[in-house]
Amino acid sequence: MSPVSICMFLVVLIVYTLSSPSSSDNQQVIRTAANLIYLESSSDTTTQKLEGALLNAVVFVVLITLVTFLLVILYYYRFTNFLKYYIRFSAFFVLGSMGGSICLTLIQHFNIPIDSFTFCLLLFNFTILGVISVFSQGVPILLNQMYMVALGIIVAAWFTKLPEWTTWVVLVALALYDLVAVLAPGGPLKMLVELASSRDEELPALVYEARPNVGSRSGNRGPNLGLLLAGFSDGDPIELRVMSSSENVVQNGRGVNEMRSESEDIDGVREVEIEGEMLPLMGSSSNERERPVVNEEIRESNESDRGRVLEREIEEEEERGRGIKLGLGDFVFYSVLVGRAAMYDLMTVYACYLAIISGLGCTLILLAVCRRALPALPISIALGVIFYFLTRLLMEPFVVGTSTNLLMF
Amino acid sequence: MTVAAGIGYALLALGPSLSLFIALISKKPFLILTLLSSTLVWLMSLIVMSALWRAFLPLKSTAWWPYAILILTSVGFQEGLRILFWKVYKKLEDILDAFADRVSKPRLFMMDKMQIALAGGLGHGVAHAVFFCLGLLTPAFGPATYYVEKCSKIPFFLVSAIIALAFATIHTFSMVIAFSGYEEGNKVDQCFAPVVHLIAGMLTLTNLAFGGCMIGIPLLYCVAIVTLVHCGKMAWRRLIESRSREGNFSNSQ
Repeated sequence: MSPVSICMFLVVLIVYTLSSPSSSDNQQVIRTAANLIYLESSSDTTTQKLEGALLNAVVFVVLITLVTFLLVILYYYRFTNFLKYYIRFSAFFVLGSMGGSICLTLIQHFNIPIDSFTFCLLLFNFTILGVISVFSQGVPILLNQMYMVALGIIVAAWFTKLPEWTTWVVLVALALYDLVAVLAPGGPLKMLVELASSRDEELPALVYEARPNVGSRSGNRGPNLGLLLAGFSDGDPIELRVMSSSENVVQNGRGVNEMRSESEDIDGVREVEIEGEMLPLMGSSSNERERPVVNEEIRESNESDRGRVLEREIEEEEERGRGIKLGLGDFVFYSVLVGRAAMYDLMTVYACYLAIISGLGCTLILLAVCRRALPALPISIALGVIFYFLTRLLMEPFVVGTSTNLLMF
Repeated sequence: MTVAAGIGYALLALGPSLSLFIALISKKPFLILTLLSSTLVWLMSLIVMSALWRAFLPLKSTAWWPYAILILTSVGFQEGLRILFWKVYKKLEDILDAFADRVSKPRLFMMDKMQIALAGGLGHGVAHAVFFCLGLLTPAFGPATYYVEKCSKIPFFLVSAIIALAFATIHTFSMVIAFSGYEEGNKVDQCFAPVVHLIAGMLTLTNLAFGGCMIGIPLLYCVAIVTLVHCGKMAWRRLIESRSREGNFSNSQ
C-alpha cells in the first residue's frame, strides 16, 4: 500500500508542478494508442467529446486485448526468453525516452543548469540499471521495487497528458476490461496466470513484489494457490498484474474475520504462522510482554518473523502486503486517476486517494475470501471515479462556501 | 517563498496529527486501517451533507442563522455517524475477542482499545484538516496571499490552518472520550463529544462578524484545550484503574 501511495504522491507532484505553468499556453496534444480516433479540443460540444472518448476507449481496449492475446500465445509456446527481452526493451524505451522527456520538462521548469552530455550519461546509466533490475536475481529487491515505481510514475505521468474526457472513459473501460480478462473463462490474463502457475514459474511480466523470494518461501508448501491478478498491457505491452499466494494473503491480516474463516481449513504449520502475524498486528510491543505465551511455537515464529522484518525496511507493507504482487497496471492507472484529479484541485486528489486505497483494501479482503485471481482495478477505479465526481460536483461548492466564511465544524 | 509559506500552513494544520501518526499509528497496520476507514466515513458524511445543502448554496444572505442551521445539521449528522462507527467497531471487537478466546490468546487490552479510538478520531481530524484547510491551500503556493474582509489582520490561509488545527485536536480526542463513554456507559462522556463539537462549530460563527476571529479563535482553542485535558484525565483514570485490576501479573505498562 505504501508503494502505491508513493507512486500516486509523486505523480501528483509531477502533474502539479508541470501543469500549472503549461495550462496557460496551449500544450500540444500527443497522439498515442489511447486517442487514435479522436483528438479532443475544448471547443467541441459535450456529445462530440463523449462520442470521441468512447471511440478512443474502444480502440484502446481492443488494441490491449489483441496484444495480450499475442503475449498469451507467445507464452503458451514457451517463447519466454523472447518475452523477457521484449519487456526489457520496453522498460529501456520507457525509462529512456519517456522518462527522459519528463526529466527534460522538469529541468526546463526549474531552470536546472545541466549540460546535455552529463544529462545523457546520467539518463543512460539510470536506464541501464533499470533494465538490469527488471528480471535478474542478483539485484536488491529494493532497487527492483524502486524501478517498478519509477516505471509506473513515468507511464502515469505520460497518461495524464491525455485529454480529460478520454482519460475518464479509458479508465472506466480498462476497469471493465480488467474484470472480463481476469474473471471470464477464456480471458487472456486468466489464461496467462493459470499457465504460469501450472508451470510453476514466474510470470514474464513487470510485477511489483512486496516481498523478496515469494516463490522460494511458499515453494515448500506447493505451488501458489491463489493468484490475484489485475493485469492489462498498455500501448507498449508492459504486463501488469497483481498476484499473490493465498498463504500470504491469509497472513496479511487484512480482514480479521476472513483470517478466522481461513484458518479453519489450513494445517497446523500455517496456523502458527498466522498467530505469529496476529501479534504485531494487534498489540503494541509493550503489551506483548505481558501476554502469557501459551504456545512456545507461536512465540518462536513470531520472533523469527520479527527478525526477518527487522532485516528489511520496516514498513506497514511488511505485515500487510507480504508477497502480494501488484501489477504495474494498477500503479499506473491509480496514479493516472489521481493525477487527473490533481489537475482540478487538491480536495479531489485526497478523495480519490482515499477511494482508491479503500478499493484496494476491499480487493484484498475479497482475495482472502475467494482465493483466486482477482482484478484489482474495477473496485478502486469505480470508487475513485464516483468520488471524484461527487467531490467535484457536490462537495466543492459546499466546502468552499463554508470555509471562505471561516465556518468549520 | 510562497511555497515555503504554503508548506508551513499545511504543517501548522497537520503537524501534530502527523507526529501522532508517525509515533503511534504507523507501526500497526490495524490502526492504519482504522484511520483510513474513519477518514472515509468522514468524507462520506461530508459528501452527504453537501448533497443535502447543494440546493441552498451559495448562501447569499448576510444573516447568520442559515449558517447556524447548516452547522447544526452537519454536527448532528456527524455525531449520528459516530454512534454508527462505534457500533461497527463494537462488532469487530467482539469478533476479535471471540477469535482471541478460540486460540487462547489474551483479549484486546484497554491500551489497544484506546489506541483504536485514537486512530478513529485522528482519521476524522485529519479528514477535517485536509478538506477544510489543505484543499483550499492550492492558491497559497502561488505568488500572492488572500485576506478575508471579515478578518483582515491575518491571511486567510493562516486563519484556516489555525482553526483546522483546533478542530483536528477536538475531533481526535473527543473520539477517544466518546468511545470510552460508550464502553463504560458513562452518560457525561457520551454527551461530551457532541456538545464540544457543537460548541466549536458554533464558535466559528463569530467569524462572520467583523473582527470576530480575534475573539472566536481563542475561544475555540479554549474548547480544544478543555477536550485535551478531559481526555487526558480520563485516560489517566482508566489506566490507573486497569493497572490496579491487573496489577498482579503486569509490572510494566
